[in-house]
Amino acid sequence: MTDQALLLPQEEKQFSLAKDAFIRLVANRLAVVGMVLVVFLFFVAIFGPYLTPYDFLSQDLLARNKPPSWEHWFGTDDLGRDILSRVIYGSRTAVIVGFSTVSFSLVIGLFLGALGGYFGGKVDAFIVWLIDITMSIPSLLLVIVINVSLKPPLVNWMDAQFVATGNEFYRNTIWVDFVLVFGSLALIKWPKAARIIRGQILSIRNKNYVVAAEALGVPTSKIVRRYVIPNAIGPIIVYISAALGEAMVLESSFSFLGVGVRPPIPSWGNMISDGLRIWQLYPHVLAAPAAVLAVVTIAFSFLGDGLNDALNPRQWK
Amino acid sequence: MGRYIINRLVRWIPSVFILLLLVYALVFFGAGDPIKLIFLQAPGDVAYDPARVDAIREAAGLNRPFLLQFWDYILNVAQGNFGNSLVSGRSVNAMISAAVPVTLKIGLTAIVLVSLLGILLGVIAALNQNKWLDNLIVGFALVIWGIPVFVAGPLITVFLVLVLDFDVPYGWGGLFSPKVIVPLLVIGLNPMALIIRQARAGVLEVLSEDYVRTARAKGIPNYQVVMRHIMRPVLTPVVSQIGLLVIATLNNSILIEKVFGLPGLGRMTETAIKSSDYPVILAIVLIFSVVVMASNLLVDISYPLLDPRAAAKKTEDE
Amino acid sequence: MAKLLEVNNLHTRFKVRNGYLHAVNGVSFSLDKGEMLGVVGESGCGKSVSMMSLIRLLPPAAQITEGEVLLDGEDITHASVSRVNAIRGSKVGMIFQDPMTSLNPFMKIGDQLIEGIVYHKKITKADALQQAAKYLKMVGISNAEHRLNEYPHQLSGGMRQRVMIAMALLNEPSLVIADEPTTALDVTIQAQIVELVKSLREKLNMSIIWITHDLSLLAGMVDRIMVMYGGYVVEEAVLDDIYKSPLHPYTIGLLKSIPSLKTEAGSRLPSIPGAPPNLFSQPTGCPFAPRCTYRVDRCQSEVPALTAVPGETGERPHRVACWVDMRGKGVKQ
Repeated sequence: MTDQALLLPQEEKQFSLAKDAFIRLVANRLAVVGMVLVVFLFFVAIFGPYLTPYDFLSQDLLARNKPPSWEHWFGTDDLGRDILSRVIYGSRTAVIVGFSTVSFSLVIGLFLGALGGYFGGKVDAFIVWLIDITMSIPSLLLVIVINVSLKPPLVNWMDAQFVATGNEFYRNTIWVDFVLVFGSLALIKWPKAARIIRGQILSIRNKNYVVAAEALGVPTSKIVRRYVIPNAIGPIIVYISAALGEAMVLESSFSFLGVGVRPPIPSWGNMISDGLRIWQLYPHVLAAPAAVLAVVTIAFSFLGDGLNDALNPRQWK
Repeated sequence: MGRYIINRLVRWIPSVFILLLLVYALVFFGAGDPIKLIFLQAPGDVAYDPARVDAIREAAGLNRPFLLQFWDYILNVAQGNFGNSLVSGRSVNAMISAAVPVTLKIGLTAIVLVSLLGILLGVIAALNQNKWLDNLIVGFALVIWGIPVFVAGPLITVFLVLVLDFDVPYGWGGLFSPKVIVPLLVIGLNPMALIIRQARAGVLEVLSEDYVRTARAKGIPNYQVVMRHIMRPVLTPVVSQIGLLVIATLNNSILIEKVFGLPGLGRMTETAIKSSDYPVILAIVLIFSVVVMASNLLVDISYPLLDPRAAAKKTEDE
Repeated sequence: MAKLLEVNNLHTRFKVRNGYLHAVNGVSFSLDKGEMLGVVGESGCGKSVSMMSLIRLLPPAAQITEGEVLLDGEDITHASVSRVNAIRGSKVGMIFQDPMTSLNPFMKIGDQLIEGIVYHKKITKADALQQAAKYLKMVGISNAEHRLNEYPHQLSGGMRQRVMIAMALLNEPSLVIADEPTTALDVTIQAQIVELVKSLREKLNMSIIWITHDLSLLAGMVDRIMVMYGGYVVEEAVLDDIYKSPLHPYTIGLLKSIPSLKTEAGSRLPSIPGAPPNLFSQPTGCPFAPRCTYRVDRCQSEVPALTAVPGETGERPHRVACWVDMRGKGVKQ
């Protein structure tokens, strides 16, 4: 009975959904902390390389493994490179991989999910099967295999292209690392996006107000715009936030294992891996990238949780 | 029930077959020539002679068509033979049987501990919803949820050794040696967040159920309401997370075993990746899928045991 | 007759995101031993919350801010939690609206039935199960011993509500609160349940509070009717007084909107215009004033108190909260 009682009467001031969600998000202190940190991360990733005091590659063999000081806030690594500059550049690596992965997996996921939800039947059964398989295989391992095995032929192809065309673009094989990392990550990250959009379409289809709209002859495109998109937008935003964080962690995991982004291009993962070799003597080389990665992941975790609470009002308690 | 399990297996085998085919194809067409790799990895003065390589390849049957070689591989695997490592030449079977127990023991222990502790914390949080204890546990779960294992492991180690002057042991001394404590803690950390969140959400959902109000109307004390009416329904959603828990634990062991010097599957994976040791990688992919599949099957089988409604539905289906 | 229950000026509110929702605003009434009271009102009028407040069976967001509830002279509102539990287990039985969700799907019927009496009466499980089977038979469930071992999903909706009734009666309560016990059931089953409760009441001589939004259901069943609106009691009188000479415009509206055999085919059934009141802010005047056709100026500025006038039938006074004297159609002073 309280359901009815909670309904605001007409004259009560109504907030728009987005504004209401934003108010709820800002009311969550942890989410605000997360949001500020994530915005700061993006800022650093975009402008960081112009702000760094040192080049991330420049070595100073006379100042190796120096502990943090005023000149080198995070100290220097075993080749005398400034760790702060490398961490900042690492944020760019993480953000590039994060955004590319999320865009690719969103495109794949939304397409397949919409396909399954719209056509139903055998198409849907196949897509559900694909989702189940992808979610139940040991994803990290598969992605590693893809990375390791596709890299040599791609590099060979780039070399051949360079020899054939003389185009400088083909000489830079760093891009192969990046493309492989986010390509393979998108391959394992799409099912969640597909599930969201498929679930929305299926649940919307059975809602009485949509059945009513269809019976009244409202065209499908309008139903999609009026009902499917507004309902899916919240979960999709939550997905994007979570997937960004996860993609960055996975990028670091690969680089940590030595298959993702390789030195000298800094990634938090390969910096942690480097630091592990000498942490007993020079803990700062390990601690700086590890702490930064920890803070970033926690920030995404806070933000994602806040977004989830703010955008999924069904979970109000 | 038996038919149900067989049904599941029948659907699973093609998936694993396709997965193996995919990985085999990636290796076959992508990674390049294993013989060449052996030469390149051989120490020092072994001359790379294309003619000799070709002869070896012919002798090893590696010039045959892809599908034929894959079929051969499948037949061997079906007989329990995973071939030999390209790097060490040792039998993959021997390597695996040495490594599996380590990962299995740590992984299973971690999963059991994490489930128990996670459920406990989740329930405590939900019963104190929006009070400081709830906020503390939820905040803790959010923190440990994000942090990857290869960050938590080193940071905890650095902290213990350098700040607290603790001795963090390295290596494997069996499940009951104190060496296992820190790795266990680290491997279980982010999977535990999963359980805490699930248990908390589950309890909150059950708390608003009408039947909990019915129980309260009987005037039985709160702990009895929790134990009898809330815990059991909460177990179902938590158990459904075990598949994810297993995947997370396996992923964590790949990332962390090296850090603590554990001679398990994870370290084997890491070494195999670095040296492109394909027979080993293929074997590990197969083992991992079997483990994940088995745990998902276990979850499905346990549903009817946990929820009488699911049991009724299952009997109708059969 | 001796008084069983006395409720004085009860206030209950819910804490919500932007303030408080005032669900119960000063409810007072009493109930005699063996009497049956019908509580009527539309969804959201506070009828369920006020009756749940009697034994403090409220969600955590709700709090009782004022008033007292005396059961057998004992103040429940200020009693300790364990005392309230003891009262729930020995003196009060509850029957809820939706039998589909009010039984725990994970527990056998028998275990759910007996957990209250096993705890409160300290009897063995076997004795309790025997008792439970006896009550199941009493509420008309055949094969009772067998049913004890079944799960709720194996029973039909009507059967489950019978189980709920047996559960409420098992501790031999002096007061049973039934919260819309027939709303979720088919009409034919509804009638069966009503008949069952009527016969059980005679057999067991207990007091019953029957909450419903359906005024017509109460005819021939209850002794007295209390009408609630916006968290207030607006009218309360014996059954015949309410049906034959209602004094509150809201009750009049409710009665008019019941279809009867005299209603002409094709004619429109009268309804009360407007929507239930907003409970977030407390009204300055009569909560029903915005929808009332008899409204006078005073209705918007002052909340009318519940005042007693002599009843038309019998001894009991007729209580009504309205500024307009519906008998003489004049404004009260």
